[in-house]
This record gives sequence, structure tokens and C-alpha cells, in this order.
Amino acid sequence: MKLWVTAALVLLTSSVRAEVLLSEDEIQQTLSFGPWPPSFQPDLSNRVSNDPRAIALGAALFDDPVLSIDGAFACASCHDPEQALTNSEARTFGRVILDRNTPSLRNLAGLRWYGWGGKSDNLWAASLHPIIEEQEMAHSKESLMRAISESTYIEDFEVIFGDVQSQDTEQVLVNIAKALSAYLETLVTERTQFDDFRDALERSDLAEAANYPEAAQRGLQLFLGRGNCAFCHNGPRFSNNEFHDAGVPYFLSETEVDDGRFGGLNFLLSSPYTLDGDWTDDPEKQGAWAVRNVRRSHSDFGTFRTPSLRGVAETAPYMHDGSLDDLDAVVRHYNEIDIERLHADGEAILSELNLSEQEIADLVEFLETLSGVTRP
Amino acid sequence: MIRWLVWFLVSSDAAVACEATGQRMGSEIQNAPAVHVTVNQIPLAQPFSILLTVCSEIAVSDMRVDAIMPAHQHGMNYLPVVTAKGDGVFRVDDMLFHMPGMWELQVDVEYNGQSVSYTFDIALK
Repeated sequence: MKLWVTAALVLLTSSVRAEVLLSEDEIQQTLSFGPWPPSFQPDLSNRVSNDPRAIALGAALFDDPVLSIDGAFACASCHDPEQALTNSEARTFGRVILDRNTPSLRNLAGLRWYGWGGKSDNLWAASLHPIIEEQEMAHSKESLMRAISESTYIEDFEVIFGDVQSQDTEQVLVNIAKALSAYLETLVTERTQFDDFRDALERSDLAEAANYPEAAQRGLQLFLGRGNCAFCHNGPRFSNNEFHDAGVPYFLSETEVDDGRFGGLNFLLSSPYTLDGDWTDDPEKQGAWAVRNVRRSHSDFGTFRTPSLRGVAETAPYMHDGSLDDLDAVVRHYNEIDIERLHADGEAILSELNLSEQEIADLVEFLETLSGVTRP
Repeated sequence: MIRWLVWFLVSSDAAVACEATGQRMGSEIQNAPAVHVTVNQIPLAQPFSILLTVCSEIAVSDMRVDAIMPAHQHGMNYLPVVTAKGDGVFRVDDMLFHMPGMWELQVDVEYNGQSVSYTFDIALK
């Protein structure tokens, strides 16, 4: 009897094991994509980071057109909370058609760079620039101070930051950006089917892990291996937060180009709002090493920051210019990539993948499991 | 190359024993002073530091550190900061490997104005 039970258990275990397709090496790589969510670390450069009053003020300001000079737009007009804090346009039309696809504003706490071109090294600077950018909210520092002073938010602002009249206009701008940043830090994508799979592997609970669809597992194997995806999309956020040429055209029109990281670095290195500048609240200036030591290269031209893949199924369209409609198109882009479009002196990572139709479908299925939303 | 080889062969006391920890870096120069690298676990796409120990009685006048991924034809996106700690020990901060795969650590050491290159392979998962 005992022998029979043991044999049955061995059989059962091996049949469950057969449903986890990953090799030991692939399992180890998979563990590096978690755990999720990450533990929260307050932003030392922002003295109101994690302050409930600042978070509430930031949330209210995010939804209010008071942050645009003519009351025409709120942050939420483009970063729609109902659409994963982005929108479905390739390039948003506000005052003008913007140059780039609107990024989703989730999982932003603690990144090294912000924006497609990385023109900010902290979240409050990334929150500040759109307010005064002429093509976006278009405030001047003076008009912003006037708008806040005359708004219903002035009381909350002064409770957090002190008397507005004792602050100069730049101080008010930075403080508003820091309240927005405190709010944005709280926006985190939920746990997903992939996270359950990953955590089950960590516990060596193969029975639980085997609940993860085999097609997604095959897609994950491609993601880790032949697809070369994990070179750039790595870590718990599925992004190395650096800049790459993905073979997407960077012409904005026949006469204009998007210079990507090249322009982002020019902007960053002349900005007063970096972790190495006077507006950080961190006397130690932790994190400023990156802006101090970042290298410039002509191959930065036309490279863009690796986007996170967390929640990716909810954020179509894709790429820096929103030129690809869905995840299937993204996978096909890399599968059939035109290497003539890549920098001749850039990194040699991408090449045609020659994936079959089944493999393309598997990779898409894997990517969809990185979102909390399940397919109908 | 031959000039440096001769220089090191003549300077028989250039390569001296020292109590270095870590692994010895390679050099194309025979009898070049030993350089050892100590690397703890490297976090992918996050900054890390290493220690370099130079076993030489000849003073090190300069040291440059870099790293490349030969298969990908790119290097690091940041310039590392080298700090002399004394007794031939150098701390290197702000290293960042932003991709998994094989990296080649490259160190150029100047002894009395003569530069010697060292390399060391690091596989990052």
C-alpha cells in the first residue's frame, strides 16, 4: 500500500513538473523579474515624498486644469486614469501634436531617468517640465503662482509648503512639482498572473507554477532566449532604464527628427532641476552620480528609454512614437527588424528573429500576463 | 608593445608579491605588475563598486577603468570614478552593467608614465 502511494506521488509530481517548461537556468532568470510590488523607498530629494497631505494635493492637482495656463488641460487629460494613465493616441493632440507617445505614469518611484529621452533624473523634475513646456501646459512661473494663489488649493499648499507669498515663483513651481511627484510615486501596477508564477517558482511550488499557461511559458522562454528581449527589458520593472535604438524611424516630418537621448542629455545637463542641483532636498545628493558621470555619445541620437513592460497590454499604442498598434505588431517589428535602420556604430543586439506564427502568439501571450487585466 | 616587454623584463623587480585578494587580471605584457580585482555580486542595471589592487613597487601615476560588451559592441553609459586608497589599492565606483551577458573589464595603469592594459571577463546573468 505504502509503495503504491509513493509511486502515485512520484507519478503525480513528475506529471506536474512536466507542465513547468522552464529549465533551471530559465527559472533563475525568471526570479530576477520580482518580487512585485517592490518595497517603497521615499525620494530623499523630495521632502514631501510619502507625505499624505502632499499626495492628496498632488492627486487633486493632477486632475485639475489649473496647472495649464488657459485651464484647457489637466495632467489627466493625456494621462487618463481610466486608460492606465496614458491614452490611445499615437501622439497626443493637445495644443499641437506632440512629438512622442504619452507614457503611462505607473511604477515611476526610484527610476534613474524619466521620459523617452531621459531629460530628468528625478520624478519631481519630470513632473515640473510639462507644466512650463510651451506645447503642453504652457504656464510661466508667474502665471502658475497666480493660478495657485487664486485657487481652492492655496490652503492645502500653504499647510504643506508655507506662506506662498514668502516664496519666489520658482520655489512655488518646484513645490507643486514635488506634490505631484508624491502622488505619482503611489501609482503602482497590480500583481499579475506572471507574479504568481514567479513567486511559485521561488517557493519551488511547481504545482502552483503549472497553472501558468504553457503558451505564456513558451513565450517567456523566447523572451529570455532567442527573442533577446531580456537584454533591455530586465529586473522587476522589465526595464534596464537605459537608452536603445529599437529600429523605429525617428523622423517627425520630412524635415524634423526626434533626437531622443541625445537631446534628452542636452536638456538634462543644462537643467537646474537635477539631483545634483540646488533644488534637491537631499543634502547628500544621493543619486546625483548618474547625472555627474553619464557619458555622451553621438550614438545617443535616436535612442529612447526602455519602457517598462508591467501593465503593457493596457498601454497601446507602442514605441516612442506610438507607431505600433498592438503587441502583435511590436513582436513582428522585432521579428522582421530592418537592421538598415539601426545606427551603424550603435550596439549590435537586434537582428531578425525568424519566429514562427506560433512563437509570435506565445510571446504576445507572455506579454499579456504582465498586466492585471486578463483577456476576454 | 615590444618596448614595454623589454621594459618589464629589465625591471625584474616590477612584479612583486603582495597580499592581494580577488582575481588576477590578464595583460598582454609579460611580467607586468599584477593587478587583482575584487568584485562582489553585481546587480544588473544598478551601480556597483569594485576594488583593484596593484602589486608594484613602481608608483601608479594614473588609472583608467572602463568595461565593454564585445559581443554587443557597446560599453558602459557612465564614467567610473577611481579613488586611490593607498598601498596600491584603488576603489572604483559608479560602475553599471545595464545588460546581462559577457562584459570585459578594462584597466589602464600608468607606471612612471608607461601605460599597461589589463582585462578581466565578467559574466553577468
